[in-house]
This record gives sequence, structure tokens and C-alpha cells, in this order.
Amino acid sequence: MVCGMNGVTLIGNLEESARKAVQWLVNKTPIRGIRDWGIAFSLWPVHFTTACCGAEFAATSAPRFDVERMGFLPFVAPRQTNLMLIEGTLTRKMAKAAVWVYEQMPDPKFVVAMGACAIDGGIFWNSYNIVRPKDILPVEIYIPGCPPRPEAVARAIIMLQKRIRRGEAVGLKF
Amino acid sequence: MSEERTIELLIGPQHPSSGHMRLYAEVDGDIVVRLRPNIGYVHRTVEKLAETKKYIQIIPLVERPSLADTANHNLGYVLALEKLLGIEAPPRAQYLRTILAEMNRIHSHFYGLGIHGIMLGSSTIFMWGFADREIMIEMAQRLTGARLTYSYIIPGGVRRDLPQGFEDEMEKALRYIERRLKDYGKLFLRNPVTRARLEGVGVLKKEDAIKLGIVGPNLRASGVPYDVRKVQPYCAYPELEFDVAVREEGDSMARVLVRVEEIRQSMRIIRQVLKQIPDGPILSENYLKMIPPKWKEFVEKKGRIKFPAIMANLRPPKGEAFSRVEAARGELVYYIVSDGSVTPYRLRMVTPSFRNVVLFEHLIQGCRVADIPAIYGSLDYFPPEADR
Repeated sequence: MVCGMNGVTLIGNLEESARKAVQWLVNKTPIRGIRDWGIAFSLWPVHFTTACCGAEFAATSAPRFDVERMGFLPFVAPRQTNLMLIEGTLTRKMAKAAVWVYEQMPDPKFVVAMGACAIDGGIFWNSYNIVRPKDILPVEIYIPGCPPRPEAVARAIIMLQKRIRRGEAVGLKF
Repeated sequence: MSEERTIELLIGPQHPSSGHMRLYAEVDGDIVVRLRPNIGYVHRTVEKLAETKKYIQIIPLVERPSLADTANHNLGYVLALEKLLGIEAPPRAQYLRTILAEMNRIHSHFYGLGIHGIMLGSSTIFMWGFADREIMIEMAQRLTGARLTYSYIIPGGVRRDLPQGFEDEMEKALRYIERRLKDYGKLFLRNPVTRARLEGVGVLKKEDAIKLGIVGPNLRASGVPYDVRKVQPYCAYPELEFDVAVREEGDSMARVLVRVEEIRQSMRIIRQVLKQIPDGPILSENYLKMIPPKWKEFVEKKGRIKFPAIMANLRPPKGEAFSRVEAARGELVYYIVSDGSVTPYRLRMVTPSFRNVVLFEHLIQGCRVADIPAIYGSLDYFPPEADR
């Protein structure tokens, strides 16, 4: 593509170059810092309950532990969320839905695996119907416990915020 | 040329309520012609895994399917196991089991109320339900040391004695909940919006409820006073006074009101238990004598059980045992077949949620799409419990 302006002629794919320039600019220090700050304090998990840890997940967003003060608000639609919590065991049937929901979420997106089952099966390690989340999704942080206490979930959110602000989170690389 | 009038609406498995299940709704305009629940999203093969685990290891396993109602699952399994082993818990342990089961019923019903609130779009009730649930969870934590998965009830007794000052704390907690229930009445139960959405919606007739084999509060809301605690009393229930909450209407509102009334009855039971609880050991004499003398001192001083070594390899004689308890969501049945080895030959659990799942198809037929969450929430359906 050839493009001319004010006597300067540019040759090449302008759209592609513009996209690259924007990406370069966004990844530069001042803008990148602001972007990561914004992401860190607007982690909205998708309302996707995979197993029984959902009871503790609900308690986490309830008044006593109130993680909404960290910008963590469970939301209905995957299109408006950027965090996915695998709450406990992921069965084969649910794993398909999990990948489906994950693919619908916009970038940057993060995955937190909650509970012993999400790490390596937990009490159901020898069950014929479970999937390890690490095999199908890029998991950012694992929360141990069966079920993890709401404090542990809140701590994981703070850890994820720190990782995002340091630029270490896997979800940011896409 | 015939025209297709209905379209299929897929709800879930990612949806804004309790999750774990998918509903296929066939809708004609705004009317649901047919609704088929698609269960099995949380099938974790608990029954099969139980065949590979030792008897004592199954206690945490059977708690996992119903995280909101762990104590009753634990109790049901242990009652069946005790029948196999031929031992009985001492009276104090029976009372302690009862108190934990009732505490669990209270926080499970608050959980159901909160989830129902979020399905109706009332975040306040979600916040209130989950905040007041924490009171009972905190009290259970004082008693057992865990928030939800207590594993408190063991064959022959319980794990811990009442902590110091538990009665006073409990009285405070119960008085708080009593006060809060009045607020619930004002804000939620007598709220015109709630009543408009729930009254007369999803009516379950008495005959249908019996024919479909419904259990628990859903059955009692249709006018059938069936409660395992009365029909076949276990633990300390024969000595306690309480009423079975029954309502005649059978609609969604009645199901919610039955649960609220059950919270009141549970509080009544807890008060009686704390007043009548006898002194004595908390573990059966058969096992207590097997604890080494050094640990026995610790057990007597601290009121905490050190497991005797025999618990690791319990070998019940050949045979089968059956137990049923009234869990928060209804009648819960455990059936164990033993072949004399350290693992059961077969463990069968019939969970109340699985028996109530048929209601989705039965009740939502002919309702409007907006009534689906109102009815779904009122059933207090817990998918992991149904799928096991």
C-alpha cells in the first residue's frame, strides 16, 4: 500500500504498521503502568461455578470478606470479564464449557485455579471423570485448600494484582 | 406447510446463579413449553471412589458433594457405618451430632435464601443471607475447627467436645438470627415484589409431590408433613421437641417460607440441646479403651479425640447397612455393602437434590421465562449433591 502526505510517501501495510506502533506505545513505560494499574483493580471474574468450591467463592464476595473492595465483582457475561476462577473440580463435561467460556473472554484474561482438586485432583485424584485445569487453561495462580478459606481467595487476588502490576502475569503476554 | 412455533433456549452451564447445570428450555413466545435439565456437570464419581478408599477416608469424601450441607452427609454415612460395625455413640455424642446437624441446616437454608435472592435480582438478600450464614459457620468453626468441611462425626462418637463458653456465644448468635429473621420478613418475605414473583408460581400439588417422590422442604411446602426426624428419629431427636414446618400452598413462596420456619425450629432444637445435653464421654467405650493411656489424659483434659489406631483399618463384618437422615434439602439415604475388607464393596448415596431435580421439568412447564429463576431458586437445588 502506498500512501502520501505532505510530500512524504510511505510504502507498506499502513494498518499493520499503525497496529504495531500502538502496541509499541502501549507497552512503553508510562502508558503500560497506567494500563496495568487499571487491569489490576478491575478484575471481574466470570460467574462460572465449576464445583463445590463455589460455596466459598460466594462467601468471598459476601459481606464478611467483601473482596469487592479490591475491584473484584463477579459478573454474568463472559464478554465483560477478564478473570476466570476454576472453583474446584473440573469434570470432563464442565471442562468443555470452561474452555468455551474462556475463549469468549476478551484479552487480557487470567485464570486462577481454586482448591486442591484444581491443582492435581485433590480427593478425587483417581476419578475417571476429572480434568486438571493446567492441561487445558493457562493457570496463573493456584489456591490450595479443600475448600480454600475466603481469606485465601482474597490473598490470591492480591497476589494476582501484584503480578499484573509487575508485568509477570501470563495473561498479559497475549 | 407447518411452521416451527417453538425455539430452544439454552441456559447455562455458565449462568448468573448457582451454576453447574444446563437447562434446555423450549419456548413459545414467553411461555416455556418444555424444560429439560441437563445434569451431570459435577459428576465426580463419589460412589465409585468410595470403593477404593478405607472407611474412615470416606467421611471427607461424602462431605464434598454437598459443601453447603456437610454435617448431615457426614452423619448419614456414619450412622450406616455404625450399624455395620454394631456400635453406638454415647448420649453426649448424640447430642453433639444433633447440634452440628441443626447448625448446618440453618446456614444451608441461609445459603439457599441468598442464592434465591440473586436469582430474583435482589442483591440485598444475597448479601444478607450470606452475611448471616457466617454467624453459624463461625459457631461451627468454634465447635469443629473447620468452616464447612467438618468431618466432625466419626464412628462411635464425635471428634471434639463443646468448647468453653459455647452456650453463651450460641445464645447470642441465636438471638441475633431471631432479630434478623424479623428484618427478612419486612424486607424480603412480605415485600410486594417478592410476593408478586413467587406467590402462585410453580405450584406443586400434594398428589404430584407424593407421586414424584419429592423430599424435604419442597415436599413439606405442598402439605405433606414428612420429616425423617419425626418418622424415623435418629440421634437425639426423639428427646427433643420441635414442629415440622408445613404449608399447604405448594408454590415458590411456600417453599421459601418453609425454609424460614425450619430455621426457627432448628434454633429451638439447638436451645433444647444445649439445655439438656448430658455429661459423659464423647466416644464409644469400645474405642475409648483402645486409646493409649498417655493420649487418654490428653483426650480427657482437652476434650479432643486422638484417633485409636483401629480407626485406620476398620473392618466391618460382612453385610449391608442402610441409614437415612433429614438433610437440609431433604431425605438422605446411605447404603453400604461390606465384604469384610477395609474398603466397602459398594456405597450408594441417594441425595435429596437428585430426587428433586425432576421438579424442574414438572414445575416449569407452562410458566413464563422470567419464572424459571424464581422457581429454580425456590427448589434450593445443589447440583454437586445431585450429580455426586
